[in-house]
Amino acid sequence: MRTTTYLSQTNLRGLAEDLLTAGTRVVAPAKIGRAPYQQVDYQRIAKVEELAMDGALPSRPLKQFFMPPTEILLRWKQKKSDVEIEEISTQFPATVILGARPCDAAAPGIVDCVMNWDYRDELYFGRRDATTIIGLACGGFDKSCFCTAVGLGPDATAGSDLFLTPVDGGYHVDVLTEKGESLVQAHAARFSDSTGMDAAKRFHADARKKVESNLNPVPPAVRQWLESNFEHTLWESIALRCHGCGACASVCPTCHCFDIVDEARGVDRGERRRNWDTCQTSRFTVHGSGHNPRANQNTRFRQRVTHKFAIYPKKFEKILCSGCGRCARACPGGMDLPELLAEIERLATSAEAPQLRGERS
Amino acid sequence: MKALQELAAKLLTEKTVQIVIGYEEGPRGVRPAFITRAEDADRLVFDSRCVQNLASYLSPRRNHLVPLGKKAIVVKGCDSRAVAGLIRETQVRREDVVLIGVRCGGVVRDPAADTTLTPDTVAARCAECDIREPKLVDHLIGDLPPAPPVNRKRDELIAALDAMSAEERWAFWQAELARCVRCHACREVCPMCFCERCIADKSQPQWIESSAHRQGNLSWQFSRVLHQAGRCADCSECERVCPAKIPLSLLMRKTSLIVRELFNYRVTDDPSVPAPIGAYRLDDKQEFIL
Amino acid sequence: MSSTTTSTITAKAAQGFEPRIMAFVCNWCTYTGADLAGTSRLHMAHNVRIVRLPCTGRIDPLFIIKAFERGADGVIVSGCHPADCHYSVGNYHARRRFAIGRGLLKFFGIDERRLTFSWVSASEGKKWADVVNETTARIQGLGAFDAFRNLTEDWK
Repeated sequence: MRTTTYLSQTNLRGLAEDLLTAGTRVVAPAKIGRAPYQQVDYQRIAKVEELAMDGALPSRPLKQFFMPPTEILLRWKQKKSDVEIEEISTQFPATVILGARPCDAAAPGIVDCVMNWDYRDELYFGRRDATTIIGLACGGFDKSCFCTAVGLGPDATAGSDLFLTPVDGGYHVDVLTEKGESLVQAHAARFSDSTGMDAAKRFHADARKKVESNLNPVPPAVRQWLESNFEHTLWESIALRCHGCGACASVCPTCHCFDIVDEARGVDRGERRRNWDTCQTSRFTVHGSGHNPRANQNTRFRQRVTHKFAIYPKKFEKILCSGCGRCARACPGGMDLPELLAEIERLATSAEAPQLRGERS
Repeated sequence: MKALQELAAKLLTEKTVQIVIGYEEGPRGVRPAFITRAEDADRLVFDSRCVQNLASYLSPRRNHLVPLGKKAIVVKGCDSRAVAGLIRETQVRREDVVLIGVRCGGVVRDPAADTTLTPDTVAARCAECDIREPKLVDHLIGDLPPAPPVNRKRDELIAALDAMSAEERWAFWQAELARCVRCHACREVCPMCFCERCIADKSQPQWIESSAHRQGNLSWQFSRVLHQAGRCADCSECERVCPAKIPLSLLMRKTSLIVRELFNYRVTDDPSVPAPIGAYRLDDKQEFIL
Repeated sequence: MSSTTTSTITAKAAQGFEPRIMAFVCNWCTYTGADLAGTSRLHMAHNVRIVRLPCTGRIDPLFIIKAFERGADGVIVSGCHPADCHYSVGNYHARRRFAIGRGLLKFFGIDERRLTFSWVSASEGKKWADVVNETTARIQGLGAFDAFRNLTEDWK
């Protein structure tokens, strides 16, 4: 197996063209929206011209391509007391994700644990198996990036089948998996020998330097602190500025909670659907009686942080976060996860009282 | 800035209020600040990055803020319209909140950006602002800065949409609404969305499907926007929060233009003026009715 | 909507399309007017299904959307003339809501010709028949509203 190769800019577009022509679904960062509302988001593209590989961090992660915001689990038809169930196919068309940022490429591998825990989620893994991820080394975007603090990095290849690093005129390519290798073999003419190893290493080092200064690696002490400080005063007013809108969860590459609903299509048939949900809204935990065990936003926000940095790691030995920073960017109230992680680290390693600005009464 | 900090400290020291909600420097630009101790008042800032509409924190749905006691909030002129809406609709009693008005020279769209106001960076709502000096206030802070540059791109896009055929407009909105994930963040962040139980959450009967397909997404946005007709203060927080970046303020703005044309009504900071929905005139326009 | 009905409509469209039109009418004026049209044996298109409500003030513009969702090609909303409302002012409130809702639907790209708003009193059986016939002819010209119905089809 070749472990490195080279892909020129022209051949990258050519590769995308080849894939599209062959009927493969191609998902890539693409510009969407009309002025003044343009943005870059991962989209299923129809034309190579839509590619926007060098632009901003796509506004949303890749999770919708593995677990869509809404998906049908089954269809039913009812005739008097007979109910007929139609199963949903778990076969999915081959998909190549081109230009996945390292934080986004790594996230599905984290979520896999829970999706294959008490049962194997066939729809989720159906899409996972059908998808090849071509990662793209990241230069670091802004001060909300903290991938290096959760064990990843702008050069992290976790989750990628091929990994591109921008070098002169094209990309240095790391071939990481069999899926990646077979993609290279199938399009061998597009690839050539790489001489960009050193340039790639420099790119990685520069990016790491930029991101590492945003937040120290989250130490094990944070998890321990979270596990033993459920009633700490920090939580009593942690989320004053939080609106409970759940935008953080929508843009989170690892948040995966869902709700299952039966919705009718007319009087005698309907669909069971799985829809995204979030622990940040009051409805997430409200009981039929009206009682809500997470009665206010402070407790809901504690849940989000604890799940990511204590509960999930306890179960699966993985932090449920890839450090993309989108939660901080998306929050209309200015809640900032990196800031909170630094504060928890401080509390965990000293005996001081909470100091987090603005969230303490 | 100093005057704002001193006033906040005074209100807290004299126990006029227990909490001052204003703006502070955060890790990503300016963000809402919750000041409960006079010595923290020096954190308060106000400049053109203070985009957020803090009236949202007055909504009774923010139950985690209720135990903190009486609030003072910093309001721009545009925000004061949302406060007036909450008072008008009996969600807040005027005497239960201290309003610190700030004279405003316009805000940028992104609180994490720098303070420079240009036609590209300035918020769309500033274009026709006639309330840079808020009136519904207990205190008024600062000198009146110069008027901001004008950004008419949003109205231009609305005009372009109006000029399209119905099919083209349909295609435009369907492309946008296809991205909606039905997280309802637009609702949660809105100062005027305060229903105890939203129609979108009702399941017996279910009026709006909770699934994120374009049909339900259209029904949801149609309902949300219509419920805001004559009430929306155009803070555009719904658009700013949208994780799918759907240009929701186009809908809000268009609805306010419709209301203006039909009923000669603009959302006002006077709580005693009734909202156009819930009021009527015998001679309201009805050319569309056979 | 059921696939049987969809295929029926498609088949009908080929040989002269028969639209499905929902009418939301108030109990006191238009429903009685529609009754009069019936007892007067006026000739009316049979495409209109009526939902009777106490007052136009009870008709949420969301009903219109719901009708389209469930397969309507056009919608009629009708009630008492101004000053005739059984509840004094329900129709005045409704008039405002429909004026705004109609503008918003238009902005979403829904052809406003799919909507008919009318005041039909209990004595205007003839006017109801005209509203029904005129609306049916107009919707026939516009064709089936598949664009709306098909919105659930593409999210897999």
